[in-house]
Amino acid sequence: MILEIVLLCGLVLFSVAAVLFRDLLKAAISLAVASLLLGIIFFLMKAPYIGAFEISVVAGLITVLFIVTIALTKTGGDVREAKAASWIFPLFFVVFLALDFFVMRGLMGKIPALQGTPEQGAFGEVLWKLRTFDLVGQIGVIFAGVLAVLALFRKRDKDE
Amino acid sequence: MSNIWLLYSGFAAVLVFVGLYCLLSMRNLIKLFIGIEVISKGISLALVATGFAKDHILIAQALAVTFIVIEVSVVATALAIIINTYRHTGSLDVRRLTKLKG
Repeated sequence: MILEIVLLCGLVLFSVAAVLFRDLLKAAISLAVASLLLGIIFFLMKAPYIGAFEISVVAGLITVLFIVTIALTKTGGDVREAKAASWIFPLFFVVFLALDFFVMRGLMGKIPALQGTPEQGAFGEVLWKLRTFDLVGQIGVIFAGVLAVLALFRKRDKDE
Repeated sequence: MSNIWLLYSGFAAVLVFVGLYCLLSMRNLIKLFIGIEVISKGISLALVATGFAKDHILIAQALAVTFIVIEVSVVATALAIIINTYRHTGSLDVRRLTKLKG
């Protein structure tokens, strides 16, 4: 249990670092470390498939995409953020943490334990038999993403 | 079991708060997108934690896989839009985009 709490605290810490770092490259790498910690938490929850997905796709692929974008927009990267943004954050963050803690402690014991019957079978069976149409949706979303990127980077016609 | 679920939901709520704060206060387009990523981490944590607490980890994993696929498509499209915006305005400042207003 302590290991989970340490990992969750690390996840929040690296996410906050990703938001507050002025250097975009450092922010992207902090985000990758946060994804890595989230993947380890998923492994501890006995969800190895989603843990592997999180580490390979979110920590790997999305970080690469971010770094490519940062490299392509290098000269415009120094946007001046509002000065208030960095010093108001700790205030709001502490208030929210206290609020979150008290709400969760107040709910403790009031929400009945979630009832559920243990599942049978393997992940692949559940994905193929119970959530078949999710896969159709996933393929549609991937095609939509590819077409959107192609549309955004298409070359101008000669007569334009 | 519900206490573990409350612990994970509490941390998921903190992540969503951090992302929302980033979206509300930052001006750099890439920073705004990092905020969206942080929110999506909170959501996937909440999804898998609920499945874990309810002994339905397999179906939660199936849903989270769908969520990650959607996340990747959104990231690819949004980063392409950010690069095009940069080429168009020469800056990553979100306030420059108000030029088309009115």
